[in-house]
Amino acid sequence: MPMNPRITFLCAVVLITANTHIDAQVLNRLKQRAAGNVENKAGQEIDKLFSGKKNQNQGTQPGGTNTNGSGGMNGGNNPSNTTGGGLISTPPDVKQNLTDAEDAYRKNSYGEARYSVQQAMLGVELEIGNKILSSLPETISGLPKDATRDQVASSGFGWAGLIIKREYEKNNKQLTLNVANNSAWMAGVNAYLASGAYTQQTGGQQNWKQIKVKGYRSVIEYNESSGYKLSVPLGQSSLVMLEGINFASEQEMMTAANAVDFDGIKKMLGEQ
Amino acid sequence: MKLKLILILLPLSIGASAQEFDKNLATARSSYSAGNLENARFALEQMLRDLDIAIGKEILKLLPAKAGALSAMEKEDNVTGSGGSMGTGLYVQRHYGALPKRASIEIINNSPLINTLQAFLTMPMIGGMMRDENQKLVKIQGYKSQLNKTFDAETNKTDYELMIPINNTLVTVRMDDANEGEITAFANSIPLQKIAQIAQ
Repeated sequence: MPMNPRITFLCAVVLITANTHIDAQVLNRLKQRAAGNVENKAGQEIDKLFSGKKNQNQGTQPGGTNTNGSGGMNGGNNPSNTTGGGLISTPPDVKQNLTDAEDAYRKNSYGEARYSVQQAMLGVELEIGNKILSSLPETISGLPKDATRDQVASSGFGWAGLIIKREYEKNNKQLTLNVANNSAWMAGVNAYLASGAYTQQTGGQQNWKQIKVKGYRSVIEYNESSGYKLSVPLGQSSLVMLEGINFASEQEMMTAANAVDFDGIKKMLGEQ
Repeated sequence: MKLKLILILLPLSIGASAQEFDKNLATARSSYSAGNLENARFALEQMLRDLDIAIGKEILKLLPAKAGALSAMEKEDNVTGSGGSMGTGLYVQRHYGALPKRASIEIINNSPLINTLQAFLTMPMIGGMMRDENQKLVKIQGYKSQLNKTFDAETNKTDYELMIPINNTLVTVRMDDANEGEITAFANSIPLQKIAQIAQ
């Protein structure tokens, strides 16, 4: 069935806003989109609107008292948070949510059923994510993992899919490994790789090129301020992205990449 | 004869949807118990699709049979449930009337695209769409909505589009060759709160 024009327009609005011009920046945009760039931009606009009012509120109150000090009206006596138990991190009970979904469906409460199925999906995706994390190496290129920064995120929808993140770091050298699965943005990545463009140079400096890592067609890019980025599409709907900061050379980055078991990750994600 | 055929086939189609849900539920359960997480996830995606379709059909039942003098073209009703993949969520569409004058209702639900649209609707400067005489905010059943007008100088006709975001649902109403009163009357005949509750 051809895509509805309205849906096409909506997708085009998002993609155009995300600047899908085929260059190395699209890979950065993928990450930014997952983090909700539109919401960040909305926040910036709100700040602009209220910055004028903020400036007006600063300054001296009648009577000559400066209100910008720590005891003043703008510094305020609002407490800062120093305690709290955080949030409960137990993943959703998949089996219970499936039971709840069935019960709601029988009662024709489809909205409730959908919520329960989404919770079940969240639980399953979190398990997949944790399984992948535990399969990753403890160290890569002499960099130990920082387990405190391990992340698994799932939307429960399937559209943004599953995102897994691990960092390896020592001194000022860092490798970040991101795995994105079942994301709606995969179509953009594969189109980018299928575009036929091989490389891009600006002022004689090569910015990105296609490369193979462990037999997988990939794209590597380099930026003076952000270092190396290697994007490895796996199967139909998964992407592994490695970001290397303060790696001495492309070869060093590729050596680190070769420590990753892409076949294993692909299998755990159910890709062919 | 035709009516009898529809009455016989309708419960069969509803039964078929329930069977799909039950089948996918059984697959999800058995796959999860066996540790086959990717299979379990695929089955859950199918369940979401089944539920989107069920919700879409319930929404269609609530839509008005007429848009002013235009009758609903039920044969063209469209319900698409993506199950969450590709980011389109649930999509419901109904057309009214025939060319040259048509109207339509489109409902998008449970889609991440709505977040982007709400940013555009609530803060038009982000989309570069500063307010002009062809655009204004109105209230439909208490919901803030954006009304857009398009004038065709060749045909001398004005088309209207009304976008009503409600929580995780976006209702879009369109009418060709109309005036503001007609489209707002049509939009007011849609049970928006009920639709939002079903889709919640």
